[in-house]
Amino acid sequence: MKKRMNRRTFLKYSAAVGATTAISGFPAILKAQAPEIKIASIQPVTGVISDIGISMRRANQMAVDDINAKGGIKSKGGAKLKLLLADTEAKEEVARTEAERVIKEGAVCLVGPFLSGNAMTIATLCEQRGVPFVMDVAAADDITRKGFKFSFRVFPTTTKFADSMLFYMTRIMKDKNISKIKGVLTNTGDLFGRVQGATFKKTVTDKKFPIELLAHIEYPLGIQDLSAEVSKIKALKPDVLFPVARPGDAKLMMRELYKQRVELRAIISPGSPGWYEPEFIRDMKAISDYVMDNVPWYNPVGKMYKEVNAAFAKKFPGKYIDTNSGYAYLGVLVIADALERAKSTKAEDIVEALKKTYLKQDLMVGLAVNFDERGDNVNADTAMIQIIGQTLKVVLPDKAAEAQYIYPMPKQLWERGM
Amino acid sequence: MNLTLLFQLAISGFLLGGVYSLIALGLSLIFGVMRVINFAHGEMMVWGMYVAYTILVWTGVDPFFSFLVSAIILFILGYLLQRTVVNRILDFPEAMQVLPLVGMAMVFENSARLIWGPDYISPQSRFALHSLSLGNIMIDTPRFMAFSLAIIITIIVLLFLKKTDMGKSIRAAADNRTGALLVGTDVNKVYAVCFGVGTACVGAAGGLLVPLMPLSPHIGAPFTLISFIIVILGGMGSLTGAMVGGLIIGVAESIGPELITNIFHGVGLDFDFPHTMKQVVSFFILIVIMILRPQGLFGGKKG
Repeated sequence: MKKRMNRRTFLKYSAAVGATTAISGFPAILKAQAPEIKIASIQPVTGVISDIGISMRRANQMAVDDINAKGGIKSKGGAKLKLLLADTEAKEEVARTEAERVIKEGAVCLVGPFLSGNAMTIATLCEQRGVPFVMDVAAADDITRKGFKFSFRVFPTTTKFADSMLFYMTRIMKDKNISKIKGVLTNTGDLFGRVQGATFKKTVTDKKFPIELLAHIEYPLGIQDLSAEVSKIKALKPDVLFPVARPGDAKLMMRELYKQRVELRAIISPGSPGWYEPEFIRDMKAISDYVMDNVPWYNPVGKMYKEVNAAFAKKFPGKYIDTNSGYAYLGVLVIADALERAKSTKAEDIVEALKKTYLKQDLMVGLAVNFDERGDNVNADTAMIQIIGQTLKVVLPDKAAEAQYIYPMPKQLWERGM
Repeated sequence: MNLTLLFQLAISGFLLGGVYSLIALGLSLIFGVMRVINFAHGEMMVWGMYVAYTILVWTGVDPFFSFLVSAIILFILGYLLQRTVVNRILDFPEAMQVLPLVGMAMVFENSARLIWGPDYISPQSRFALHSLSLGNIMIDTPRFMAFSLAIIITIIVLLFLKKTDMGKSIRAAADNRTGALLVGTDVNKVYAVCFGVGTACVGAAGGLLVPLMPLSPHIGAPFTLISFIIVILGGMGSLTGAMVGGLIIGVAESIGPELITNIFHGVGLDFDFPHTMKQVVSFFILIVIMILRPQGLFGGKKG
């Protein structure tokens, strides 16, 4: 049966429409008066590295919520931040289209992503579109060596990683009277893994540092069988293994080292994820002990760290603030600080404000966030952390140390009664 | 040349190759009967892994037993998938058959992400850290057990196809669909069972892999690719081919980089073949086989 529009129904509908406008429309106009600033979080939330991507998106979001709860951007009349969400799927081409999308949707600044390769494509696009981009985690040196004007990086560069690593190694070798270390370097085959591995190797060679690298083994990102690589390590008989890994292969490697009974004096990562996430210790238990990692770490005594970590752990049970989620939080703070000082959402103003950033923080190890002419944070630093008794402890530098480092490992992996 | 190392690599690769064979067997069976390539194969394997993992966490039953439950659940999933999706696309052009199954792969991957979360999980199971040493050679116990069970399952599947009525119907439907219809076979049911058996194989393989590798929702795709290589290498639709192909690829990927590096060094080249290029070895073998025997090692008729 067809309904015809007559005078009565017309009146009925127009009354309804009028009422709806009166109820919902009016406040909508009010809302529009309190401006909203859109920024975008772009992270690898699905795909090969979704565990870290999700953790970083959560930290980005939590930082935005905290800023809004404290009254938003005050210089813009308490404008609230709105976080647009984008997912790179850990793929360069998707990173580009997603960045393009959020820019079209009105993001005035982008924050992200975990992967260096993704960061490179986003930085290139942001340069073309003239949109400021703050990298929270992405270490490969090259990203900020292209002369980009709109890109800033809160995280340390791979060169910084390698320098700190050798600084800490010097200390360990001096303490323990070691004149030479024979090591094997491994890394994943993505941009970060390759650059991190190569920079460590190059720095060791250039500085004639007394570490002899017997081999440099590279394997694909997302590998599911490391037996061949570990057999090779075993045949080379190194003192120390220097692995640059990701969460999956870190676990795979520990189990293979255990099963193939590879004797090592220590496992010291020149700086990579895989070794500090809660799941690593949860799954590896006693095998995880004595692994060391040279990472940008949270500041265990910082007031900001304690507050943020408590809130994060409460909201996401079983998780804590680590390198990646910590820097993801910090990245958003840097943007909010710049918006506050810029008093504007124009790209040039934000960039000018970002250049003058001096953001005091005690969330992560390192001093206030301060960018050099390339856009790198000059005060980003790393700490040497070690798993002792299945908990993570900062062991170097001394001023942040929570425990004395243990070298060499007192027990081989398979002697730990698993 | 370090012979112990090469021998060690060959053994690890051979044992893992057994599991590859089982994964490829499922793909080959489905292709052989329905001429459809199951692009959701690897993702379904991941579901098998998660089922075995969930049972391990809830009840403490080791994946080396609970892989049977994985197989049953994946059989049901496969049966339903065939009835609802695959059966509708059997007569479509090949390019159009690809899309729904790639779509299903995404559905499987992302629903696993929603249910079990994105983190890598390496559950503690009874045999996960066991290994046996024979002189200088280490034999990884879970790998050995996975290999043995995979071979047993493969033999059972082959017997099922040869000896049972359902198996005979499957082979009949594969050989001549119209003929099978004419003699009164319920071809739709036969196809669904066959798809179910194929996915049950991959589900069982998933269960067997739990003690060996960390689980994460996205790890399926490389397994689809590798089983695809194995199936083409062994001959599309040939079950023996899938078995032999799996072992060849397992050994080749494990031993390849080291062997090639040794050859390079032997001829005076100071160049290490990077492990990142492992798959180059399998693709190289694939290309050589394609040139010499286009129908694959155990493929039947040419073309």
